[in-house]
Amino acid sequence: MGTYYTEGPILSAENLGVKYGDKEIIKNINFQELDVLRPGRVQGQIIAFVGRSGRGKSTLFRCMAGLQQPNEGRVLIPDLKQEPVAGKGYPLKEVQEGDVGFVDQKYTLFRHKTIEQALHFAMRKEPLSDEEKEAKINQYLIDWGLEEVRNQYPNELSGGQRQRTAILEQVLHSALYIIMDEPFSGLDVGNVQSVQNAFQLISQTHELNTIIFSTHDIDMAVNLADSIYVIGYPTLEDGNLEPIGTIVKHYDLKAEGLAWKDQMSQDHYDLVEGIKAVMMGS
Amino acid sequence: MLIASLWSVLLIGYWFLATSGEKKLFPPPSKAWEGFKDLYNEGLVVHIASSLGLCLQATLLSVVFSLAIAYLSPVPVFKPIAKALSRMRYLPLTGITFYLAMVVSDARTMQVWVLVVFMSLYFITSLLGVINDISQEEIDHARSLRCSRWEVLWEVVIKGRMDYVLDVLRQNLAITWMFLVTVESILVAAGGLGVLIKNSDKFMNHGRIVALQIVILLVGLGIDWFLNFLRKSLFRYSTIGN
Ligand SMILES: Nc1ncnc2c1ncn2[C@@H]1O[C@H](COP(=O)(O)OP(=O)(O)O)[C@@H](O)[C@H]1O
Ligand SMILES: [Mg+2]
Repeated sequence: MGTYYTEGPILSAENLGVKYGDKEIIKNINFQELDVLRPGRVQGQIIAFVGRSGRGKSTLFRCMAGLQQPNEGRVLIPDLKQEPVAGKGYPLKEVQEGDVGFVDQKYTLFRHKTIEQALHFAMRKEPLSDEEKEAKINQYLIDWGLEEVRNQYPNELSGGQRQRTAILEQVLHSALYIIMDEPFSGLDVGNVQSVQNAFQLISQTHELNTIIFSTHDIDMAVNLADSIYVIGYPTLEDGNLEPIGTIVKHYDLKAEGLAWKDQMSQDHYDLVEGIKAVMMGS
Repeated sequence: MLIASLWSVLLIGYWFLATSGEKKLFPPPSKAWEGFKDLYNEGLVVHIASSLGLCLQATLLSVVFSLAIAYLSPVPVFKPIAKALSRMRYLPLTGITFYLAMVVSDARTMQVWVLVVFMSLYFITSLLGVINDISQEEIDHARSLRCSRWEVLWEVVIKGRMDYVLDVLRQNLAITWMFLVTVESILVAAGGLGVLIKNSDKFMNHGRIVALQIVILLVGLGIDWFLNFLRKSLFRYSTIGN
């Protein structure tokens, strides 16, 4: 059930720090995720970042997406243009904008493009013929429940439809990594379910497909993710909090045997309580 | 719409009542109507066409100029130029007119250029506002789809804000329209509504002046309505104002 083994790194942050002017927002962010292989299955990874607001989750995400240059440190991802090394995966390179899919909190889209136009635009650099693109887009529109609104503009869509379009754009742009900032905020139950389904769909289509998301909903994080980071303010020696975001705790749900379960168990609920306690204290 | 027409009826009714006495500052509707007929016989339509032509010509020139400046403003080298031009709107126009007069002699050309200078300064200001309001998220969204700097400019700034340009045009046209009539009456050329106003002014013909004011107002409102209509029909996604 829980057997897996790991290969080379698929995402790594080294001593990451961001300042706005003189104000340090995040610092000392270090983590590494390894490629996970499960015998007989295709398994991308789902990584969650939780933390109270203002702790720097969005800032960290912008750095991981290559949209913002950190003041210190760097973010590394596999360089798929090079040959993989046996047992170690692909050599790493610094992330650049466009390497990683990014869906912001407001599900921003091009306001002047219909869903269909937007998806064509996302695929503009794919080496496929127009017919192949058309066929692919049609299939996705059906699978993602967007068929009926394909000719509508973002302002004519519901929040859920906008979000699915924003995710789909990144999927079709062939980003292996998709970073989503609070993908569950402001959605109703049905839409939350469809985003969860999308997560599973994405992570089971390609070995290296990696979803990184942030949320305030700890149950959701524990339910979906196989790795959870808590971003918060670290406690100083005098007992006060230092107001600069960093990783205060990491949970590897794979190692704890809690990943890839269909049902939440008591262990899961205990973990939820544990994470909440860490969040409150940071 | 219903409420608006009700108010119009009330207003016109008040005009009838308020001007029905002996001595009055304001001419009664009948006088205005006569003024209107006079004007019509003197070729009002031709004059309106002349003003509209001037307006169109000046608008096109200044839009091209302002858009070029505004679209280049995100490029660091051009930013100061755009800002400086936008500040120039505090320059007194008499000065500009003076220097323009040394370059062009023909009154019509003069009118066009005075208007172009005046409008451009306002357009640039409004367009810079529109561009500044583009959110970081919109730019990042394009970047996440591997848009180059030029693609961001083209997709987000130019195509993504085309409807705003029409709206800026519409909003600035109100002040332009007013200004245009003034320019026409100062720098007198062959025709135009400004000339009509000036002539009526000379003869203290109140009926004509009021009639003209109403005509100018209506034509202005017509342009406003037309541009709004154009924006909404060209850009289905446009939801500025209503
Ligand atoms: N562009 C910016 N300029 C200055 N401060 C910023 C900027 N963006 C975010 N911040 C500050 O950085 C801190 C972290 O913000 P953010 O990354 O959005 O946190 P989170 O996503 O965890 O709520 C906040 O205090 C916020 O005010
Ligand atoms: Mg945030």
